[in-house]
Amino acid sequence: MDIITTRGLTKAYGSRTVVDSLDLRVPQGCVYGFLGPNGSGKSTTMKMLLSLVRPTRGEISVFGRPMNRETRPGLLREIGSLIEAPPGYAHLTGRENMAIVQRMLGLGDRQIADAVAVVRLQEHMDKLVRAYSLGMKQRLGIAMALAREPRLLVLDEPTNGLDPAGIEEIRELLVSLAGEGITVMVSSHLLDEIDKMASVLGILGRGRLIFQGTRTELFHRSLPDLLVDTPEPERALALGIPAVRADRGIRLSGFDDRDTARLVRQLVEHDVPVHGVRRVQQSLEEVFMDLTGREGLL
Amino acid sequence: MRAAVLEVQKMRRLRVAPVCAVMVAAVTALTCAGLMSDSARAGFGDPAAQPWETLLLSYVLVSAMTSPLLVAVLASRQVDVEHQGRGWMLSQVAGLSPGRLCRAKAAVLGAVLAALVAVQTSLVVAAGLAAGITVPLQAGIWVRYAVCLFLVDLALLCLHIWLAARVDNQLVGMGIGLLGSFCGVFSLLMPPALARALPWGYYAVVSPVAMGEDALRVITPGYGWLAVFLLVVAALFGAACHRFDRTEG
Repeated sequence: MDIITTRGLTKAYGSRTVVDSLDLRVPQGCVYGFLGPNGSGKSTTMKMLLSLVRPTRGEISVFGRPMNRETRPGLLREIGSLIEAPPGYAHLTGRENMAIVQRMLGLGDRQIADAVAVVRLQEHMDKLVRAYSLGMKQRLGIAMALAREPRLLVLDEPTNGLDPAGIEEIRELLVSLAGEGITVMVSSHLLDEIDKMASVLGILGRGRLIFQGTRTELFHRSLPDLLVDTPEPERALALGIPAVRADRGIRLSGFDDRDTARLVRQLVEHDVPVHGVRRVQQSLEEVFMDLTGREGLL
Repeated sequence: MRAAVLEVQKMRRLRVAPVCAVMVAAVTALTCAGLMSDSARAGFGDPAAQPWETLLLSYVLVSAMTSPLLVAVLASRQVDVEHQGRGWMLSQVAGLSPGRLCRAKAAVLGAVLAALVAVQTSLVVAAGLAAGITVPLQAGIWVRYAVCLFLVDLALLCLHIWLAARVDNQLVGMGIGLLGSFCGVFSLLMPPALARALPWGYYAVVSPVAMGEDALRVITPGYGWLAVFLLVVAALFGAACHRFDRTEG
């Protein structure tokens, strides 16, 4: 079952379309990595999912119910979120902040204690939030999102500004939450971070959904470069093949299986010795860069 | 009610009580400074010397000077925490719209102002009695003025909450509060029509005493104009809150 589905979700500000015809499908109980370069429309999409921004066009369905002004209060009770930066009143302690969330949502003491325990912030609850590190603020923000015991967590760049240890900590936390049955939708422009925690990826580029599926499906969709081992690369290049010289031969981009067969036939017909043909192993980052048109991912 | 209780929780460590206490002390001291002079003391038992009217005029003047600043400080402190702590978003995803938050802030700070004006007015009257004014006190005039002062403060509070919510930089609101202090004081000297055109001019509109040719006159404040002002501010604040509710995050 899909927890979130959108159909043709679009947001335009005047003539500028920032999110264009998104058809998202976020399966239940997974960590859904929402990936895209800065400015690709991730935050706007997440705000539309939470009904903080009105879509220009399209439909949103959460837990199988349409998200609109009427259904929003009921749906938001089951969605924890952290958008753009962690909330927290700096002049209050962590405990006082959680007390505000408790009253805001009408929660019990146990729910608050559990949420604080999950993010391991118990020892710091009596400190003023202004004295918190960024990582602690992020954890407090996640505790605020978790306190309502949500079925869905929508987190916008939750590891922004964290050091590697903080990133690792948040990542482990999100994976463990998914293990408990909570669907986690997490956005990032950091590919490595998403790669280590998400089981399903949605890749956004210039407001459009470029890819959606598992990591394996993503690799299947991409077309790794072809490496032809030959001791005579100059002769191969002289045939007009669109290739560049490589370490032990030539390297070609965008060649599918049929193109590869045709290439090998052509080389053999012209007596160019072919010692081997193989695909170059691509990193996820290379796949992503190809898909997003190399828009500068970190 | 829930939103109002939340605002009280957020008030913690914002030093609202000390700020109010300092302001009450300052207003009382400035208002009552004239009671110390020998010439004033000589007329404490003489109705013709108008000791209560003189004290009330002093109170009107000091209130017009200090209230705009106090209102700006209270509004900016209570709203700035939402900007700094991303409280707008936190509240929105909990079902509390920004407009509702602003209304709750106005209600809670309005209660603070009501208490402040009541205490401040009582202290000024008590100081007059303690100083030895024996001319009978016309309590009704003081009570009506205190109520009007509170209503003008409340109206300006709503405008400052709107401003503080609209503009992240709270120095803007503080600057306008300071400007309001000057306008408030000078509105007592302005032609009434000009005073009615300025929000801070209503500190003069509600004044129950005015300078006559050779004595102070007890006058009827511009209640009608005050009612119009309050209605206009209520409509503007209501529309602004409605607009906040529709603002996209």
